[in-house]
Amino acid sequence: MSDDILFDLKGVSKKFVKGKDTITVFDGLDMSIARGDFLAIMGPSGSGKTTLLNMLGGVDQPTGGEIWFDGSRIDSLSENQLAAWRANNIGFIFQFYNLMPMLNAERNVELPLLLTKLSRSQRKKNIAAALELVSLSDRARHMPAEMSGGQQQRVAIARALVSDPKLMLCDEPTGDLDRETADEILSMLQLLNREYDKTIVMVTHDPEAAKYAKRTLHLDKGVFVEKDLAA
Amino acid sequence: MKDLYLVLKNLTRKKMRLFLTVFATFIAFMIFGTLTAFQKAFDSGVDLAADDRLIVLNKISFTQVLPIAYATRVRAVENVEAMTHLNWFGGYYQDPRSQFAMFAVDAENFMEVFDELVLSDAEREAWIDNRQGLIAGRAIADTYGWEVGDRIPINSNIFSQRDGRTDWDFDVVGIYEGEDPQTDTNGVYFHYEYFNETQSFGGDFIGFMAVRTSDPSLNETVIKTIDDMFANSPAETETVPEKAFNKAFIEQIGNLSLILTSVVLAAFFVILVIVGNSMILSIRERTGEIGVMKTLGFTSGRIFRMVLAESVLLALIGGVLGVLASGFMITLINSAPIQLPVLVLDGSVWSQAMLFVVALGFITGIVPAMSALRLNIITALSRS
Amino acid sequence: MAGFFSQIWTVIVMNILSLPRRAWMSLAAVFAVAVVVAVLLAFLAMAKGFEKTLAGTGSDKVAIVTRVGSQSELNSVLGRDTVNNLTTAPGIAPDADGNPIYSSELFVIVDGIKRNSQTQANIPMRGIFLEGFDLRENLTIVEGRAFESGRNEIVVGKGVQQQFEGFDVGAEIRFGKTAWQVVGVFSTGGSAFESELWADAPTVQSQFQRGSSFQTVRLLLANADDVTPIKEFIDNDPTLNLDVQTEADYFASQGEALNGIAIFGWAISIVMGLGALAGALNTMYTSVAARAQETATLRAIGFSNTSAFAGTLAESMVLSIVGGIVGAFAAWLFFDGFSASTLGATFTQVVFSFELTPELFANGIQLALAIGFIGGFFPAWRSARVPVVTAFQGVE
Repeated sequence: MSDDILFDLKGVSKKFVKGKDTITVFDGLDMSIARGDFLAIMGPSGSGKTTLLNMLGGVDQPTGGEIWFDGSRIDSLSENQLAAWRANNIGFIFQFYNLMPMLNAERNVELPLLLTKLSRSQRKKNIAAALELVSLSDRARHMPAEMSGGQQQRVAIARALVSDPKLMLCDEPTGDLDRETADEILSMLQLLNREYDKTIVMVTHDPEAAKYAKRTLHLDKGVFVEKDLAA
Repeated sequence: MKDLYLVLKNLTRKKMRLFLTVFATFIAFMIFGTLTAFQKAFDSGVDLAADDRLIVLNKISFTQVLPIAYATRVRAVENVEAMTHLNWFGGYYQDPRSQFAMFAVDAENFMEVFDELVLSDAEREAWIDNRQGLIAGRAIADTYGWEVGDRIPINSNIFSQRDGRTDWDFDVVGIYEGEDPQTDTNGVYFHYEYFNETQSFGGDFIGFMAVRTSDPSLNETVIKTIDDMFANSPAETETVPEKAFNKAFIEQIGNLSLILTSVVLAAFFVILVIVGNSMILSIRERTGEIGVMKTLGFTSGRIFRMVLAESVLLALIGGVLGVLASGFMITLINSAPIQLPVLVLDGSVWSQAMLFVVALGFITGIVPAMSALRLNIITALSRS
Repeated sequence: MAGFFSQIWTVIVMNILSLPRRAWMSLAAVFAVAVVVAVLLAFLAMAKGFEKTLAGTGSDKVAIVTRVGSQSELNSVLGRDTVNNLTTAPGIAPDADGNPIYSSELFVIVDGIKRNSQTQANIPMRGIFLEGFDLRENLTIVEGRAFESGRNEIVVGKGVQQQFEGFDVGAEIRFGKTAWQVVGVFSTGGSAFESELWADAPTVQSQFQRGSSFQTVRLLLANADDVTPIKEFIDNDPTLNLDVQTEADYFASQGEALNGIAIFGWAISIVMGLGALAGALNTMYTSVAARAQETATLRAIGFSNTSAFAGTLAESMVLSIVGGIVGAFAAWLFFDGFSASTLGATFTQVVFSFELTPELFANGIQLALAIGFIGGFFPAWRSARVPVVTAFQGVE
């Protein structure tokens, strides 16, 4: 295994039992993600792209196979071990931002830092830097309800990167935004990938969004299909 | 109602919430049923008092005595059918702290005045023949495990025998039942002669008299005749109908009825808020569905009725279960070894409970039903 | 664990900050707990007030002697000879001339009309010598004067004057055939004696046909709380069939009469508490459901499920404590000091005030906490089980 590999999935399978039926989403999926990659995963609904993202984030666990992250297996960790692992390694960005409505922007960004040993002053510095990066320093004291969708998503990005995770996982990050705002958000992700060396995995059904990624994988019924590799 | 199936499905969609709201309602109705039975039991002394019975007391207070000579004079009054006199004995059996209602009475006439106490003829004759005999009510006999034929010592915390002892020996010769299930059977009665000849404190005095008139309409005349007869004597009398006497006695304890009613009201107020909120919430969660139903052609009025039916049904389930449970509680309390009046859950409690069920259902359902009625389809669908 | 407490604290704060979004639901839970606590405290305050009134009445420096087994002053009868014999017992404090200090008294019942209900009720009337006044602590004549011996005059307790009609100074009252003049009002600092009428003992003996008999004798003890010498004296004399106890013990046992009310209060409020618990559970399950996405997002960020559990439990406890305080405050506002009277052990009215002590207040808060804890525990359990994938789903 090369040092450049951040994620390594070996023969991963995932089955759901729904009533009397068993639905197989993945059956022996192999993939690897290199450090510094910006990967877009596309596919129709039901293709398994969200399930894959959930497994990468340690939110959902495979029914078979192994998931290796940075040289250690994560598929066999307990729920609370996974929570701690996520706190150290992953930053999530959601389609609906998922900000805490009762906290202002800087308090929202602070959340992941509460899981670290950082002092209060250190936390303040990091929050300010993260908000600076998403150009929202002037909105630090605003409540989510007082901000536009794009601004809320930028707060969410700041929250995802404030603890300096190796990997950022984005679930339809622009699904709820207009084109112009979406481009702004995607450029920001691109910047994070290029300038700050964040590995990013983004699930989307929007081909325009996928264009910002370094590479795009197409998922269909649980397998990657070759398509438009040139794009 | 054709929509009953839909109403039932709506009601049962969130099992936990259904259980909790029904449980809260259940508790309130259980409290209602049990406390109402208590209240009726306290009132039974008044409700069951005979209309044709009068009590003749010393005017100063019922604890002041009257001379025995009064008995003969009262018995001779016109329209007095029967008369017995009673002396409070302050009796207790073994435990001085649990005193019971024990009276020395004129045994020959006693059963004629208190005709709601049922005693077999054989036991009645046995009592009249046995100077040391006593009759006890079913409830008190069960409390102490007395049976006919037992010889028991009973102490008085007021009187003592001439030799200084405070205990008397008695033969249990009869155990009487009540005509009505709520008739008090916690009383014990024995011969005045036995009392008068053995106790050491003066003699020839009586506590009060109970008189049965030939007709309740003659009560006023009899009262006046008796009280006038003793006016300006050292012991003036005050004659009152038994109902009034019992009522005054209950009221001395305090306003029990107000206390019980307040507790029941508090309990209902609590569930009103809990259930009402729950109904509002569950209708709000269904905004989208109600919008869909309206687009399907359900009229607003019909949806309004469905919501109300749901809240009434909810109250009905909790109410019926609660009153049933109070029936169980009452049986439990009745069988407990404490001196309490007999509790009865009768039809009037049920009908009152059903009235509250409907009221509760309407009050908790009206706000959500109104908002469902007014709901605009476009807002409903966009909010979902 | 780094930040273990800070993450729990953060989640608790967020739960509480989110309360206004579910204002009505939360208010319902608060209200239910408040009513239950208020009901409990009303009953407890009633029992406590009664107990305190009677406990405050008896002195441990005074012994009360009654006929054996009589349980109360009303039932007791003591002949003149018995009284004379008894007062030769050792252990009684002597006055300046070396005579024992005692008070022989009568206790009869008369009728009065209660102000609030306009119904007849029993008032105790005590036949007493003026020397007997010295055996009561804190006794003051607050209006008028004391009765004169040999005359049909009475002084009325403050409690009687408050609760019953027609006892103003100067008024004439009739008991049976005889008329009495109200000449004064006395206070004993809130004790049960204030529920009584006092008149000259020999006058009461003659007007109530009591001959030369008394009902009780009060003895000033040479040593406080020590009735042993008197007890031994009684036991050694076969002609004395008497009970002796300190006045404090006598009234303390009578104060237990309303303990049943306290038990009833607990029973009814625990049952009502179950209803309030259902309300609390309902509120908290709703809260957990409404906040599922927030909870899942925090979990995705890396917060532990312990923090989710703690947050929900704390929210429930806060609601119930607020309810408890509101309920206790309402009980204090409406019931503390509320004056009432009921039938005491002597078949007479005892006037007392509801009393809400800090100890009872604590009882109320404990009940509220119990409801809050149980009402929060199970929903908290569910909150800790919210799947993290919920964070990726849209708002339901």
